[in-house]
Amino acid sequence: MKRPPLAFLAMAALLVVATARGQGMALPEFERIELDNGAIILLHEKHDVPLIGVEVIIRGGASNDPEGLAGLSGLLAGLLEKGAGDRDAAEFAESVAAVGGELSASGALEAITISGEFLADDADLLVELLADMLRRPALDAAEMDKLRKRLINFIRAAKDSRLGRLVPIYGNAFLFGDHPYGNPASGSEESLGKIKHRDLLGYYRDYIGADRLIIAVAGDFDSAAMKKNLTSAFGDWRKAPAALIEVTAPIPRTGRRVLLVDKPGATQTYFWIANVGVAIDYPRRAELDIANTVFGGRFTSMLNTELRIKSGLTYGARSTLTRPAQPGSVAIYSYTKTDSTVAAIDMALGVLSDLRATGIDAEMIQSAKNYILGQFPPRLETASQLAGILTQLEHMNLDVSYIDDYGAAVAGADSEIIAAVINDVYPALDDLVFVLLGDAELIREAVTKYGPVTEMSITAPRFRP
Amino acid sequence: MALFAELRRRNVLKVALLYVVASWLLLWIVRSGAIIRGLPVWTETFVLLLVSIGFPVALIFAWTYEITPAGLKKAVDVDQTMSIVYKTGQKLNAAVAVLLVLGLLAVFGERLLPKFEFLVPGTPQGERPVTAATPAEIRSLTLANGLKIIVWPDHDIPNVVMYNFVRAGGRNEYPGITGLSHFFEHMMFNGTSNREPGEFDRIMEAAGGANNAYTSNDVTVYQDWFPRSALELIFDLESDRLQNLTSDAAVVESERGVVYSERRTSIDNNNFRRLLEQMYATAFIAHPYQFPVLGWPSDIEAWTAADLSNYFRTYYAPNNYTMIFTGDVTPGEIFALAEKYFGPIPAHEPPAQIRTVEPEQQGMRRIIVEVDAQTPLLHMAFHAGSATDPETLPLSLLLNILVGGDSSRLHRLLVEEEQSVISVGGYQDEGFDPGLAYFYLTLPPGGDLAAVEQRMLEELRRVADDGVTDAELSKAQNILLADFWRGLATINGKASALGNFEVFNGDYELLFKLPEHVRAISADDLREVAAQFFRPRNMTVGILRSPPDAETKE
Repeated sequence: MKRPPLAFLAMAALLVVATARGQGMALPEFERIELDNGAIILLHEKHDVPLIGVEVIIRGGASNDPEGLAGLSGLLAGLLEKGAGDRDAAEFAESVAAVGGELSASGALEAITISGEFLADDADLLVELLADMLRRPALDAAEMDKLRKRLINFIRAAKDSRLGRLVPIYGNAFLFGDHPYGNPASGSEESLGKIKHRDLLGYYRDYIGADRLIIAVAGDFDSAAMKKNLTSAFGDWRKAPAALIEVTAPIPRTGRRVLLVDKPGATQTYFWIANVGVAIDYPRRAELDIANTVFGGRFTSMLNTELRIKSGLTYGARSTLTRPAQPGSVAIYSYTKTDSTVAAIDMALGVLSDLRATGIDAEMIQSAKNYILGQFPPRLETASQLAGILTQLEHMNLDVSYIDDYGAAVAGADSEIIAAVINDVYPALDDLVFVLLGDAELIREAVTKYGPVTEMSITAPRFRP
Repeated sequence: MALFAELRRRNVLKVALLYVVASWLLLWIVRSGAIIRGLPVWTETFVLLLVSIGFPVALIFAWTYEITPAGLKKAVDVDQTMSIVYKTGQKLNAAVAVLLVLGLLAVFGERLLPKFEFLVPGTPQGERPVTAATPAEIRSLTLANGLKIIVWPDHDIPNVVMYNFVRAGGRNEYPGITGLSHFFEHMMFNGTSNREPGEFDRIMEAAGGANNAYTSNDVTVYQDWFPRSALELIFDLESDRLQNLTSDAAVVESERGVVYSERRTSIDNNNFRRLLEQMYATAFIAHPYQFPVLGWPSDIEAWTAADLSNYFRTYYAPNNYTMIFTGDVTPGEIFALAEKYFGPIPAHEPPAQIRTVEPEQQGMRRIIVEVDAQTPLLHMAFHAGSATDPETLPLSLLLNILVGGDSSRLHRLLVEEEQSVISVGGYQDEGFDPGLAYFYLTLPPGGDLAAVEQRMLEELRRVADDGVTDAELSKAQNILLADFWRGLATINGKASALGNFEVFNGDYELLFKLPEHVRAISADDLREVAAQFFRPRNMTVGILRSPPDAETKE
């Protein structure tokens, strides 16, 4: 492969939205219905293929997990599929698969999400299964125990085979510390182990309800019928009794510190260098997207050019922005063979320094604008994609202008504002959190130059030291 | 006025009207491909030319001749009192009206139909869309130099996807140059005699485009995703690198580092891929599917500029390319650009055929990989078919029943009921030559590898003996059909599906036969492929686990 799969699609975690019909990129018409109990329904008909896409958000995710029980909302998400209504876990899975459908729930930082896709003929079944999952989940103790064990072992399996995926999890835990954004959505081996069945039932009772629900359905169906169906399925659902944890803005880190995660025998070092960045409502989104595209958001970005194209130190280097409701992380991520660890990190820091000192020239700004505008339309191509965008807008209290005005904002972005945004968002070189995963014995000494080092083993059952 | 009156009397105006309406209808039929499929692209222009030439001829004919009860006569010879031009006029009016109604029905009727024009309703399964027909708007063309181009216009978004399938991959390698196909894929982005290394990507991204590529055992596939405005630029870039590729020595060295990093990331620090690599190296003893697509480390370190130029000469030629374009384009413009940019590039001697056929396996093979691992792995592979073998579709249904998702047999049994594994999955290779049917299982720490292997063998024997239920078959069919539709929901999916069917099955139109082929398969077919492939003699088993304590320190 020329480049890591999905590496550049992941450039902004929540809403990587740009838009494009030339300048006229816009959301299609959709219907928004708010039920009396606060549930939000979003509908858009699209008849190009006989499929229906559904995206559901229940507000509140890992950032709402009780202290010490990270992964509780994620475990609950998984259990919504393990039996609901009149169906046990096996029957539920069978009902979805029998018609060629897809339906899965997972825990994210600020929501429990459900994604599904069914053939057009199965619209009624889809609504029935959704209502059962959300309103009548079995939440069986034996199923919980089984799933919990499995999730713990998935983390162990990732430590054998998916190191790259774990690095940002260690990273967020180290960067955000006790702030809710430090909670791994997957939980840790330790925190999952502590969860009791009553914690699960309590979480469902307190935090799940109609006023937290956003359902977007897009695709090949009849809106009037779908609206009636969803209204009758969710119209009489209770509200959630307990308020979600109020998440405050995390405070950016000052100074430098290093977490070294030891994986003996690893032949390369994975590194993640970060600080606190911006929230979803950052007012200069277009300018920031342009800056990030140039810095580390595409193949010819500054980071990938230096670390990969010119020097061959890595298969890929990029910068990421996660933009939740409060400021998330801004990070550099890459990996290199163990003996070039310092060379690659120094080079990445050099690129960050150049970005802040020199900024981006006019030609590069134009190139990034074209790139963002040119790559946007395929993100709104399918019914499922559209359903995803609609739920995210609703969840984050954004209106359609977030999409509809974006193309013009990108096209009209001004170089001076871009320069100001760079220095506002990308951290100063003195204020950085480093997370390195590799063979500690071989790099321990060398990396002390980046700051005080905390070390932990990859086999430790948690993501923070 | 006298002339006009005479034109009217001799029905010349009515003939003109009839001619125009009939021509419009004819052109519509040709353009939409509604009745005749697979016409060459120039047909439309040709028909337009013909009807244009015919128009004055028809008018002169109508002026000169007149229909009489005695047949066709010159108008000047007809006795005006006996003339039946009035009746002929009425017939002409009726003909115009009929053609108009037909035309309007065809044109607007089509718009009233559901937008998925290639859906053929009315199948035995009720209204479920299980049958598809090749969409009329897809066109293909083969240039004189052998380059085949397939175009599927879809104007939903102002973007275009290009897939270029090059028939060269791991199977074209041998010891010493393993991984070269993949390395070459990287070098295709690294400079031509017209463009510096890196310019290909810089130019494409500056025009709003993005690209990637992948190499498999069988093919190397280049992908461009770009706004319509960059269409001609893409042809320029793609034809330039086919014609004028260079390989700078410093760039080769730097890219060697990149590929080694890719190998470290995806294989050396990934237990799953480590075991997978050893499995192929064991299951195949003769056929080049035994080599890792990324190459053995010593070959990555050693390949030379001469290896690269040999490879380029052998495989990179228009007659070894299949290009797919989907999205906001018309076949006409794509074919014209292809002719302009690729037409002048000469064909090469076709590459030599792969002669080696994997000999039949003569007994179970077993390997152990010992590395630090919290979660042990069990992989099981069976020699199976190629993309075109009749067993391949039944086997993909069977694999779906066994390991496709949470309701599958082996997931239910091993993950949910016995909890002896944390995940089970599988796939089959669908390449030019017979590949593997492959199962992979991850065990919990301390899991019993031998017991799980035993259970797997029992379950595979059970399906070979007893087959599957009708409900299982129908579920697997529904899943494959839903996947078929999902695959066609984006222009990217369309390009990928068309290209894969054209290259591996020999004809992109077979893609649209998939739903009926899937429906035609019986439970018996599945039992037969299970009995044919899932035999211990045909099996390679691999386990990956931590070394016993005594050996951890070397």
